[in-house]
Amino acid sequence: MSFTTDKQTLADLNLLGKYKSNSIYTIFNQVRTGGGERLLQEMFQHPLAHPDQINKRSDLFKYFQERNLSFSLDTESFRKMESYFNSSSGSNRLLVTAATAWKKFASSFLRDEEYNFLNDGLLATIEVLNSFRAFVNSIEDDINSPYAAERLAISNIFQDKQLQVFLEQKVVKEFSFEKIARYEHLLKHNLQQEMEFLINSLYKLDVYLTVSSVARQRNFSYAQALPATQPLLKARGLHHPALLKAVANPIDFNKDHNLLFLTGANMAGKSTFMKACGIAVYLAHMGFPVAAEELSFSVMDGIYSSINVADNLNMGLSHFYAEVLRVKHIAEEVARGKRVLVLFDELFKGTNVKDAYDGTLLVTAAFSKYRNCCFIVSTHIIEVGQALQQEGNHISFAYLPTVMNGVVPQYTYALTEGITGDRQGMMIIENEGILDILSAS
Amino acid sequence: MSFITDQQTLDDLNIFGKHGGDSVYQIFNQTRTRGGALILEDMFRYPLSDEQAINKRSSIVQFFASANSTFPFESSDFDAIEPYLNGKDERTRLSVQEQSVAARLSNLVAMDADTQAIHNGIITLTRLFIKIEAFVNALELHNNHPYQLDRDGMELLLQESVFVSVLNRPAKQKWQAAELAEYDALFRFKERDKVLRLLQYIYYLDVYLTIAKVALDCNFTFPKALSKGKNRLNLGGVYHPQVKNAVPNSIEIGAQSNVIFLTGANMAGKSTFMKSLSLALYLAHMGFPVPASNMEFSVLDGMYTTINLPDDMGMGASHFYAEVLRVKKIAMELKNRNLFVLFDELFRGTNVKDANEATIAFTAAFAAKKNSIFVISTHIIEAGEVLRERCSNINFTYLPTLMKGNQPIYTYKLEQGITSDRHGMVIINNEGILDILATGLKKINP
Repeated sequence: MSFTTDKQTLADLNLLGKYKSNSIYTIFNQVRTGGGERLLQEMFQHPLAHPDQINKRSDLFKYFQERNLSFSLDTESFRKMESYFNSSSGSNRLLVTAATAWKKFASSFLRDEEYNFLNDGLLATIEVLNSFRAFVNSIEDDINSPYAAERLAISNIFQDKQLQVFLEQKVVKEFSFEKIARYEHLLKHNLQQEMEFLINSLYKLDVYLTVSSVARQRNFSYAQALPATQPLLKARGLHHPALLKAVANPIDFNKDHNLLFLTGANMAGKSTFMKACGIAVYLAHMGFPVAAEELSFSVMDGIYSSINVADNLNMGLSHFYAEVLRVKHIAEEVARGKRVLVLFDELFKGTNVKDAYDGTLLVTAAFSKYRNCCFIVSTHIIEVGQALQQEGNHISFAYLPTVMNGVVPQYTYALTEGITGDRQGMMIIENEGILDILSAS
Repeated sequence: MSFITDQQTLDDLNIFGKHGGDSVYQIFNQTRTRGGALILEDMFRYPLSDEQAINKRSSIVQFFASANSTFPFESSDFDAIEPYLNGKDERTRLSVQEQSVAARLSNLVAMDADTQAIHNGIITLTRLFIKIEAFVNALELHNNHPYQLDRDGMELLLQESVFVSVLNRPAKQKWQAAELAEYDALFRFKERDKVLRLLQYIYYLDVYLTIAKVALDCNFTFPKALSKGKNRLNLGGVYHPQVKNAVPNSIEIGAQSNVIFLTGANMAGKSTFMKSLSLALYLAHMGFPVPASNMEFSVLDGMYTTINLPDDMGMGASHFYAEVLRVKKIAMELKNRNLFVLFDELFRGTNVKDANEATIAFTAAFAAKKNSIFVISTHIIEAGEVLRERCSNINFTYLPTLMKGNQPIYTYKLEQGITSDRHGMVIINNEGILDILATGLKKINP
């Protein structure tokens, strides 16, 4: 089974999107190669579902992060090399020579760029492969390292005699016609598979180095994936990766505490906290570094969130209906026995208070019985919390406090146990003395 | 004292609208002259708070509407006149002196556009004066007619020498350069004020006729303004002019029912009803016809609405604070003014307890101001029950939701009472969410 989520969740968490500002993808998208970018996208689109796979990938990132290896890949040369290998060539040595001869002729008499393109491509290839070889050789030969297999495969390719001759020749500005035709045949025919492997390794290396350097810069850490036998999600210092000065909070979900009931004022950071949890779990399933000091989790089947739906109150009841349908969809997934993380932010807020109270209470209580899932439910209706306390102690209660600094509310963003008792609303009204003004005349 | 309001109210009621959007102003913006358009905009910007002024403007429009009059001038004439009169530069003044041979010669071949526009302006203006005289003479009004003052004003003005000389000029006489220069000096410089004053009457006439036409086209009603302080509002069949197939509603407000407490589901039409009511009252204070079947109202000093303010939930608590400040501002205004105050879903951005308490406290405090009108809508129906005990002058109304299977249906028809619609739970139950979860649990943990 694969890790599933849906459009709404991806949008709520702002995970994907190259051109969306502040998406989680853009944080990591500092890769230098097009292939690296494709690989990164692929990783974002398909989180992993097996703890071994997850740990294997995160070990790779960790390995590169710890070694802090620098690999000076010249992007321009690499781009030239890529396009050199993308241009096709024949398998027959004679035909290749003939085609090259035509290109040389076209270059001399027709000002055609093809021949120069071959020459430049070869020069770039020599440069890139030499620095790649130097980089791979600089990595210690440790059979236990997560990169060992890949390293071995790369080294083996570089053992090739013809390739060595090609790489170690004296660098000139222009190759002779004979050499161009020979290398064309060598690289694109004889060593075709090997070259593809090397280029793919470069793409992967690009991703490994980029992700590990982002993790280093932002102080991210690697999550530990556990088998899905027992539900577990435990983190220290969890924060939102896109916020620079985010306040860190702990979370702790397990079989006996599978639902967090979250209260607090609007600006207090409820949504941010929920998003931070969702993003961390998603990144963790990708084997990526997460914005936390420490995170361990049992592998889940997916994430479902309902965070930003309720923002447009003007849509009214039909919107309420859409929200109900979303809850239903999630209920169906949960009822099928999926182990998922569910984030409900201000459920049913577009309807009257009584209905919202009843709905939130009944739905929350029913979901909480699924001990193999983790839930975070936030609401303004603090009375629901009081009623939920009767449901049993698998529900934990936390709130994000508001502190009044004079009449200006201030937020600590630090998760506190309990249900909020903040009543700044009436306090602000009283401070402004509006009722006195009205009764004065 | 003029009628006070603010930008928030103008935005809520979509009086001027956003750029290019449909607005209430656009419904009426059909004047044929630019001067008329300016006056119309002023009327929209500054509604009246004087019973007589309102009724006077309203009866002038009614008079033209019942006479089914049309604008007695060509609007193309004004295209020539308005730019001509706007040119106040002395250097463009036509010269009386004999023109040089060169200038004459070049004018003979092709007159330059500016001079031509000036000539055209002068000639069109003189023709307009003649038409105005004919219009004034044809207009027979009884004593105390609302338009009498305007008519007499025009008649008096036309006796000024500048106009008499024009009116006495034989219509077929050919225009000489010297004559044109003479009139140019009069119209644009020496007697400019009088010309503009006369035109101002025509611009107003344009506005009155435009409003009258809109009233007839849209089947609007002319409200009757009552003296200040009575606090009465009888509004029958009011609807929103920009909603297609709008359902009309009626409401009666008096000193004993000056607070309207409105409940209902989100799509039930609360905001639309609130907007129609406010808009009718706003137009009525302009002396304009309103989209309703009948209307009678005591003149108020101003209007404050808060309808679209709370939509930006992202602003959170600071938004709540902004809302509180707005209530405070209105509370200050209420000290010595009679206002129409409207709040759509007050305090919906805060926790329920606070919103409930604040709604009760404010509504009760508002209810004590019996000379003002308050309309308050809310989701917190519990607040209504408490208020029913506490205040006698609250009119509880709601907009119902009917269920047709799973599909909610709205009547948009105002009813007495507090809504008891509980469709939220009905929908949740219909979808069987709780059943899905219960059966799923049995399968997993048999």
